[in-house]
Amino acid sequence: MEHDKPLATNQLVHNARGPLNRISMNAEMVKLVIENDMPKDKALAALDKILQSCQECSGILQQISDKQGG
Amino acid sequence: MLNVLLVDDDLEFTEIASNIIEFLGHNTFVASSIQEAKEWLDSQPFDHILLDFMLPDGSGLHLLDKINALPAQPFVTFITGHPAVKGLLSDICGPKIDYLIKPIQREDIESALTPKSKNKKAKSRSKAHFDCLIGESAAMQELYLMIERVAKTSANVMLLGESGVGKEVVAQAIHKASGAEGKLVATNCGALSKELIGSELFGHEKGAFTGAVAKKDGVFMQAENGTLFLDEITEMPIDMQPNLLRVLESKKVVRVGGTQELPVNCRVISASNRSVESIAADKVLREDIYFRLAVFPIDIPPLRNRAEDIPLLANAFLAELNQENDCQFVWDEAQLTRLKDYDWPGNVRELRHCVHRAFIMSDPSSTQISLPKTFHSPFSLVKKANSGIEAGQSIEDVEKELIRLTLEKVDGNKSAAAQMLGISTKTLYNRLHAYGEFET
Repeated sequence: MEHDKPLATNQLVHNARGPLNRISMNAEMVKLVIENDMPKDKALAALDKILQSCQECSGILQQISDKQGG
Repeated sequence: MLNVLLVDDDLEFTEIASNIIEFLGHNTFVASSIQEAKEWLDSQPFDHILLDFMLPDGSGLHLLDKINALPAQPFVTFITGHPAVKGLLSDICGPKIDYLIKPIQREDIESALTPKSKNKKAKSRSKAHFDCLIGESAAMQELYLMIERVAKTSANVMLLGESGVGKEVVAQAIHKASGAEGKLVATNCGALSKELIGSELFGHEKGAFTGAVAKKDGVFMQAENGTLFLDEITEMPIDMQPNLLRVLESKKVVRVGGTQELPVNCRVISASNRSVESIAADKVLREDIYFRLAVFPIDIPPLRNRAEDIPLLANAFLAELNQENDCQFVWDEAQLTRLKDYDWPGNVRELRHCVHRAFIMSDPSSTQISLPKTFHSPFSLVKKANSGIEAGQSIEDVEKELIRLTLEKVDGNKSAAAQMLGISTKTLYNRLHAYGEFET
C-alpha cells in the first residue's frame, strides 16, 4: 500500500539515529581520553565502535535508498 | 554529585553514556526496561533520570506515574530519536521534565544534569562565539572567520566600526582565540591627557615628573605575552604618534624619564569609529603608523546591517538580566519584531541599554517585559517603514497609511499616535471612524 512506504522510511530514519547516537557518544569519549591523558585503549575501543556504527548507518541508508528506488 | 538513572535499551549507548556521566562526577545506574527502572526506583532515591522514550516494555511515559508518586521527585530528561515526539514532549515538559534529541553530545548531558537556574546561564552562554560574541548572520560569520584566522598569527589588528558595535568585545574574542599566555590590557587613547599618555603607554621611572612617586609599568609591559587594546587610537595626539611608532617597530619601550630600552612582546589591537577614508582625509593618524597598526583591518558591521541578530542579542541580554535578578521575563514575537525594525544608531550598546531600561520598567509580578512606546534617539535614521506611497495616490489613501503606520509604531495607543501626528485625539478618532476599517 502506498501509505506504508513513508511510514517504513520514517522507521528507518528513526533506526539510523541509534548508530548516529553511538557515534556521537563514542566521539565524545575519544575527546575525553585526549583531553585528560587517559589510557589510549579506551579511545581505540571507542573509535572501533564509531567505525562499526558507521557501517550500520550505511546499511540503513542503503535500505532507505532501496525503498525510495523501488 | 548526582545519582543518575539511565534508562535505555541500547546497551552500547548506556555503556558509553555511563562512562561519560561518571567522568562528569556523577553516580550512574542503568536500566534497559521500564520494569528494571521501577525496581531501581524502589530501591533508592535518584536525583535525575535520563529516560529513553521507546523501551521494549512500553513508553518512557509509563514511568512518569511512578516517578510522580516518589517522595522526592527527580528531574527527568527524555531521550528520543524521533523528532516528531519532540512536540508531544514539549507539551508535557514541566519544570522538572526536559528532553534531548538523539544524537546526543556530552554538553547536552552536562546541560541536562545542571540545575535549571545554572542551566539557563549555560545555554545563554553557549550561543556566544568565543564566549562573548552573539549573532549568526552572514556578516558575523565572516567576522568569526576573520577572528579565527588572525588569532593564529601575531599580526596587529585594527578594528573599525561605528560607536557601540562592540570593538572591545571583538578584541576580547581575538585575545581569547589566540590562546595568548599574557592578559588583555585595554586603554582608551582618547581619555588620556597629552601629558600622561606617554606614562600610560610606556610607563615611567620614579621621579620622572611631579607626582611620579614610584616606578610604573606602561600598558605595553602590562600586556607582555598578551594583547594590548588601544581604543580610540585616532584620538591620540599626533605628536605622540612617533613614540608609538618607534615601539611598534623596535618592540622596545623606554619608560618616561628612563634610558634603558626594555623589550616588549604583545599583539596590538587598535580601534577607531572613523572610516579608513576619514582617517586618511582628516590626517588623524600618520600613514606609517596606520600601516603598522592595521596589518589586518577588520570592519565590524553596524547592528542595522545584521537585523536578524537583534532577537538573539535581545534574548541574551534579557537572559543575563533574568539570571542576575532571579527573574523570568520573556519577549513576545511582536516586541522582537519592533526591536528588529528599529535602526539602532547606537548599535549593540544602545540595544543593551534599551533592554536594561525595559527590564527596570517591567512589572515584577508579570513575566512579560514592557518596551517603551517609542525608541527615542536623536541619532536614529528610523527606517521609513515600507509605506508604499507613490506619486498619484489619493491624499486620503496617504493619510490612512500614515495613521496606520503611526498607530503601529505606538502599539495602537491613540493618544500617543495623535500626539505624534500633531492632531487632537478627537480628530484622530473622527478619521478612524471615517475610514471604518480602523474601528475596533
